[in-house]
Amino acid sequence: MRGELHYDAVVIGAGTAGLVAGARLAEAGARVCVLAKGVGSTHLAPGTIDVLGHAPERVSSPGGALEEFAAAHPDHPYAALGAEIVNDSLQWFLERVADGPLAGYRYVGSLERNHVLPTAIGALRPSALVPETMAAGDAQSGSDRVCVVGSRSLRDFHPALCAANLSHAGIAARAVDIEIEVDRADENALGLARRFDDPDWRKGFAARLALKLQADERVGLPAVLGARDPHGVLADLERRLGRRVFEIPTLPPSVPGMRLFEILRSALRRAGGRLVLGAEVVGHDRSSSRVNAVATHAGGRDVHYAAPWFVLAAGGFASGAIELDSSWATHERVLGLPLRGVPDQTEPRFVAEYLAEQPMSRVGVAVDAELRAEGVENVLVAGAALPGAVSWREGSGEGIALASGSHAAKLVLAQAGARTGAAA
Amino acid sequence: MATLTTDVLVIGGGATGAGVAWDAALRGLDVVLVDRGDLAEGTSGRFHGLLHSGGRYAVKDPRAAEECIAENRILRRVAADGIEDTGGFFVTTPWDDPAYADRFAAGCAATGVDCEEIDRAVALKEEPRLNPDVSRVFRVPDASIDVWKTVWALARGAQQRGARVLPYHAAVAIHRDGDRVTGARLRGSRSGEELDVEAGVTVNASGAWAHFIAEMAGIEGVRVLPGRGIMIAMNHRLVNTCVNRCQMPTDGDIIVPIRTVCVIGTTDVHTDDPDDHTVIQSEVDAMLDDGEKLVPGFRQARALRVWTGVRPLFEDAKADSTETRDVTRAHALLDHEQRDGVQGFVTITGGKLTTFRLMAEETVDAVCRHLGEQRACTTSTEPLPGSEEHATYHLGERLERKEQHLSDHQLICECEMVPRWKLEQTMRRRATTNLDDIRRLLRLGMGPCQGGFCIYRATGILHGLDGLTAEQADETLRRFLQERWKGVWPVLYGDQLRQARLDDWIFQGVLGVEHLPA
Repeated sequence: MRGELHYDAVVIGAGTAGLVAGARLAEAGARVCVLAKGVGSTHLAPGTIDVLGHAPERVSSPGGALEEFAAAHPDHPYAALGAEIVNDSLQWFLERVADGPLAGYRYVGSLERNHVLPTAIGALRPSALVPETMAAGDAQSGSDRVCVVGSRSLRDFHPALCAANLSHAGIAARAVDIEIEVDRADENALGLARRFDDPDWRKGFAARLALKLQADERVGLPAVLGARDPHGVLADLERRLGRRVFEIPTLPPSVPGMRLFEILRSALRRAGGRLVLGAEVVGHDRSSSRVNAVATHAGGRDVHYAAPWFVLAAGGFASGAIELDSSWATHERVLGLPLRGVPDQTEPRFVAEYLAEQPMSRVGVAVDAELRAEGVENVLVAGAALPGAVSWREGSGEGIALASGSHAAKLVLAQAGARTGAAA
Repeated sequence: MATLTTDVLVIGGGATGAGVAWDAALRGLDVVLVDRGDLAEGTSGRFHGLLHSGGRYAVKDPRAAEECIAENRILRRVAADGIEDTGGFFVTTPWDDPAYADRFAAGCAATGVDCEEIDRAVALKEEPRLNPDVSRVFRVPDASIDVWKTVWALARGAQQRGARVLPYHAAVAIHRDGDRVTGARLRGSRSGEELDVEAGVTVNASGAWAHFIAEMAGIEGVRVLPGRGIMIAMNHRLVNTCVNRCQMPTDGDIIVPIRTVCVIGTTDVHTDDPDDHTVIQSEVDAMLDDGEKLVPGFRQARALRVWTGVRPLFEDAKADSTETRDVTRAHALLDHEQRDGVQGFVTITGGKLTTFRLMAEETVDAVCRHLGEQRACTTSTEPLPGSEEHATYHLGERLERKEQHLSDHQLICECEMVPRWKLEQTMRRRATTNLDDIRRLLRLGMGPCQGGFCIYRATGILHGLDGLTAEQADETLRRFLQERWKGVWPVLYGDQLRQARLDDWIFQGVLGVEHLPA
């Protein structure tokens, strides 16, 4: 067929789950291609690795709570995955960060204990692994007070509100506003991060900020401490200010999330995997129980990607991979797979209280116990496409993505190995 | 307890009440205008935004048509700032009785509604998304009107002439001295404090709630049958002309382009409670189907939010014959001196937004009779604040103003192009901690992202500006999110659900608002 490419595995989706699956397949020697309409949730999320934050009370030890949580939620991805693969995937991730493109940048933490980090509005978010640039924000760490620093120039971060809520939660905090010259009034976090990458600019900023700080204070800044060299930016600021400094994630675009994307993309590429962005899957070739190829339409031409294995990691409603149409029917739009967790037509889809759990929240692609798409033997499902989780409420998104991406890779490799073995 | 003394107390801050306040203030009367909530928060703020040409009533209710076209021409001059001259089409779709079109044209001719039949091809060229299967198209001078802007202009105009405007002040008692109403007791819903107003005449302009106020005054037989209708705002202007079905008035028969969105309406279901805002699923579905008939592909567009409004349909239980019960969409002015022998009290209810000025004029005429002094009405010639140049609103207005300052003015709400200085100015002027009050003035959070990005920003700015406590700021944010959700979830599908999920990520995933300490 014209324009048909052959791979050992094709991954659909370039969020955390898809990139992890692709990288791990490639590292094991598979010829793998990751196809995606665009970047995934990394650019929106805080860039932390949340495994289990709320169940529904705040979880202090995600590792310790995982087993009980899975038992209580048999339809949750964690019930199928188990704690071991979660732990394994976190270790894998820490190694990739260490070998990654951002020199010196690392994540800290473990499954033993959640960090408790301030959000931009001053609520507290539990998270298992956090970038080193956020670690000093942990509400459980140290007795020094918090000085939340922002600028009127950055509309996406409001230090006084953040500090007021932190104080209300019993964390001594105050706010400082510092003038930052910007080129555009609508500068966002990424624009500021590029400034922080500039050593001369940073020097001036630190000198001005130092005048406003008090003794025994750590400094919380919006998450803008460098897009290229966050490790260097953090070390430099801490040295110049003589105190701990940390980032507080705020509105998208998420700079720490972009770093996370770069780390995972680099892992995929270094292992020889291919990433094609702007390649929305628009069709597929399927025989009764197998998907044989998927088609993309990009750059004015159709390309078919054939493979014995596919990993569907295209996300849920947020990405558009799962759709609820105006006749209230739900569809999986990439491969047309059946869904699970859709409320019955007579049941409410949503409830009137915004902060309550919404009935539509747990919809995902129907899978078997091995997270294989129901009715298709060669499609594995990973990440937010999986049913049964409300990751933004649970604080479980990256844990599920890492573990299910790793799981999918392992299953493909095991099956492929078994087949090769059988053939040999 | 504080006491205010005034010539006229107006209860109800919708278009009618604000119109009465403006009219009375122009006639040199001292006015106090009160509403239990914000101005134009009730029926006035809950409609589709159509300034009628009269075409809709040309066949069914010729008198209403005549009133509409007369008021349409007046308001285009005196309230130009809130009006966009969209023009209107009446189109015969395959689902409409083809015979109605000729009756429509004749009705317009008889009532003086400007109406011109135009070629289908011309109509389709102007409105490419219009159903190509329409058989006939008539052009009429429909327009869209921004009610919040207009009502606040009325209130500001009245204030400039000495009127006192008190939103969030509910009437809790009407004072009677024998056969005379002498004023009312108010309770401030924000302050919790009560105050008395002594008034020469009290005007009950509470629309669909008129019977409650009348009962408080000891007046019997004022019955308002609230008729609830739903409206759905779509995320962009599928049409730039008001498009009406050319048939007898029915459900889902109009799409109104207003500001950055277009609104389809409406239904009419009787309800006992004017505060009942239940959205019924089958009505949503029917409305989307109706949209599809006017604009094929309507269901593929994003539905932003749905709301309901209650029309006050007046029925006078004191009417002589029960067989000719007077349930009407026309407005009803009840002079309680004539009707009940009670002086100093007038009720105005029923009617439609387009004729609010006329209703106010008739009401203040009655007020003047009670006060025993005739003063001439000037609202048909006196422009509202902001409309002195008689220039109607055009869609590119905000962008045009903004364009010169793209790099030096921070935009807080990108969807509706609200700059920071404007937000801060409005927050100071309104002195409110309720972001919904700000929304009605600036359309903050009313665009496609439904506040996903701007509400955290606005909360932070409000907190800094007013020195709010953490509790107040958090409550402000949560209340806005809840209010927003009320209108969002019944029409949540397609790309708007994607947007909502992104907003969930922002508010719950990134900010953690459900775990705020305060």
